[in-house]
Amino acid sequence: MKRATPKGRARARKPRRPAAASRQEALLRLSTGIAEAESETDVCRAVVVGLYGEALGYDFVAVLLVDQASGDRVLVASEGWKQAPSGLRIRPGQGLSERPLLDGRIHYTPRVTEETRYLPTRNEGSEVDVPILANRELVGVLVVESNRPDAFDDGDLKILAAAANQAGIAIGRARLLRAERARADEQEALRATMADLAGRLDLSTVLTAVLERAVRLLGVSHGELAIYDAAAEELEIVASHNIGRKATTGTRMKLGEGAMGHVARTHEPLLIPSYHAWSGRSPQYAAVDFHAVMVAPLLIGGHLVGAIAFMDRDPARQFGADDLRLLNLFAPQAAIAIENARLFTAAQQQRQYFQELVANNPVAIATLDLAENVVSCNPAFESMYGYTQAEVVGRKLDDLITTEATRQEAMAYTQQALSHQRVKMISQRRRKDGTLVDIEGLGVSVVVDGTPVGAMALYHDITELLKARREAEEASRAKSQFLASVSHELRTPLNAIIGYSELLEEEVEELGVPQLGGDLERIEASGRLLLSLINDILDLSKIEAGKMEIFVEDFPVAPLVKDVTAMVGPLVEKRANRLVVEGAAEAGDLRADRTKLTQMLLNLLSNASKFTENGTITLGVRKNGADRVEFVVRDTGIGMTEEQMGKLFQSFSQAEVSTASRYGGTGLGLAITKKFSELMGGGVTVESVPGAGSTFILTLPVRGS
Amino acid sequence: MPRILLIEDNEMNRDMLSRRLQRKGFEVEMAVDGRIGVEMARAGRYDLILMDMSLPEVDGWEATRQLRAAPETATVPIIALTAHAMAGDRDKALEAGCNDYDTKPIELDRLLGKMAALLPAAAQ
Repeated sequence: MKRATPKGRARARKPRRPAAASRQEALLRLSTGIAEAESETDVCRAVVVGLYGEALGYDFVAVLLVDQASGDRVLVASEGWKQAPSGLRIRPGQGLSERPLLDGRIHYTPRVTEETRYLPTRNEGSEVDVPILANRELVGVLVVESNRPDAFDDGDLKILAAAANQAGIAIGRARLLRAERARADEQEALRATMADLAGRLDLSTVLTAVLERAVRLLGVSHGELAIYDAAAEELEIVASHNIGRKATTGTRMKLGEGAMGHVARTHEPLLIPSYHAWSGRSPQYAAVDFHAVMVAPLLIGGHLVGAIAFMDRDPARQFGADDLRLLNLFAPQAAIAIENARLFTAAQQQRQYFQELVANNPVAIATLDLAENVVSCNPAFESMYGYTQAEVVGRKLDDLITTEATRQEAMAYTQQALSHQRVKMISQRRRKDGTLVDIEGLGVSVVVDGTPVGAMALYHDITELLKARREAEEASRAKSQFLASVSHELRTPLNAIIGYSELLEEEVEELGVPQLGGDLERIEASGRLLLSLINDILDLSKIEAGKMEIFVEDFPVAPLVKDVTAMVGPLVEKRANRLVVEGAAEAGDLRADRTKLTQMLLNLLSNASKFTENGTITLGVRKNGADRVEFVVRDTGIGMTEEQMGKLFQSFSQAEVSTASRYGGTGLGLAITKKFSELMGGGVTVESVPGAGSTFILTLPVRGS
Repeated sequence: MPRILLIEDNEMNRDMLSRRLQRKGFEVEMAVDGRIGVEMARAGRYDLILMDMSLPEVDGWEATRQLRAAPETATVPIIALTAHAMAGDRDKALEAGCNDYDTKPIELDRLLGKMAALLPAAAQ
């Protein structure tokens, strides 16, 4: 009963043969309806409703459109007695309605049951199938049925051809309009995406945004984004959209591996119709169930930044020229957005690193611009000077931390630093509360890309260091002072001992008791040794206390050498040595401290005499260039090792303790000689071979000051 | 016999030097400070004065200046005796008017040499 109802109603409503005139009118009305339709579906509905409703005697009218992807005919609109849901699909190779699509002609079937392609339906009458051409392309079929055989005449065929023609034009127009709109929408979406990405600089946000935008733009269900790690030559998945339970983020692929690895190598996009069937698939993606995959490299001027992939689980979704076109528009922009974010992140990390370095530095640091204004300072600066950063920024550093006494000097340093000179200083600066701080400072210019932008001042608080040094110096001075006064106090009684023993020696001779003479001589000799020791200590302590003064005078060298050799004569002869003097006669005049030169030569010659037996000691005088004179004392004695020479000029260090006890002497003579020579602007050097003698060279300026 | 005035505040130095000089044939008179030394020098006639520099009352440099200022002692030879072997002391002594100087402890032969150079030939 249910089936019979529409059939009956149709029959009852429609006259068998409408007049030709009324057919023309019906067609006119149909045209108007079609012209008013905007969308493809509306066009189809207008055709169907118009033909069925015009009482032209048709029992069923339908429009089927071809789905480009599958080739199926899809029912878009229908009217009539058959139950025909929209979206019904008819596969290629089935049904009478395919015929116009194969040859582009109208097919009239007076008796459908006689057709081999006939699918058993409720229609057992006749049928007309008309191709619909839109923009010169077969896009669908107009199907009109009658439950009577032989129901259509030429007039019907003309009307239906005209209707299909109009429908085709309207569908073509609607499709163009839709494509136009879609492209406009696409352009807008792309523009919005780029505007959005360009504004973002946080890398992970940008990566996620790029992928989400791309997925939305292409209307796919899945997406993945990888960035290229050039050092490892690997791609790393950094964002994924909708990829199953197990996120793929963090997956790494070698160049050449899988679809992304493939495009990373070829630098060309790749369309894969079925991922499972693709020979290049990655084992890491063995478990996923995608069909079509589209992958593109992200490139900036041929340099690989990453890769982007899209997939869809719908087997019907294939990627085509439109997708590729969109991707080609999108990919370069995405690459730039990613690279920008990456560079920004790297720059930010570096900036942060240096900020940390400055902030945690124990050295007080302030940066200045070219106008000498403070740009920034670190916490160490704040705690050293008592100013907060806010108090110093924008002000002149030299106005803040200098005193009257150091201001000029500090300003000169700042100028030097700004003009590319590295400035090192030890000075004092003022804190905010007016107290002074001893500093070691460094000023350097700051140059960015070859352009000077300012300077950096670094301060190290050396108050404690200086205090410790002053204390040490004070202690050293006190020690020297003590030694000086002790030595002086010792000398007075010693003078009496020596003087009286000499007096007694003279008296015992007169009194005729010469047997006492030897003892008195020993007392006198010991006293003299003690006196020379005390004198040496006094000299050294004066030198160390900085109180040893130099008195220069002009004098001829030859008489001085003569005096010295006379004084040292007894000591030289004591160990059967011979003294040879060379070059003294030609030495001319010298400006120096005569007393100290005498003392130095005596020290060197007595030293040589002590360590030489049955040998020769030579005192040579020679010029070294125009303004230096050398006194060379050479012996043929026991010599020294390298180690002994190293300690030679230190106070109280004869080469060895055993040497001291064997050869006597204080061990201070050489130390004093060296210090004297240095005070006089010269020096002493030594060359020696153990067992083969030593050579000491005392160098002095010819015209000392 | 040359007459020597030894101005020296240290008793042992004074005793020692005077006895050794007497043994060498000098007539030695002694003063214990600068003021007495100047008085004695102006009152008596001495062939040479040995003057310690660090003296109480009036020091050696001042005493020398006073002696040089007085007509009767303006030309008498004065040898300064200084405790420190300092060239500065020597210069100061020569500036004050001393003819020569010697450093303590006294090397008798050296001092005798300097004295001989300054004593008038008639006195030797």
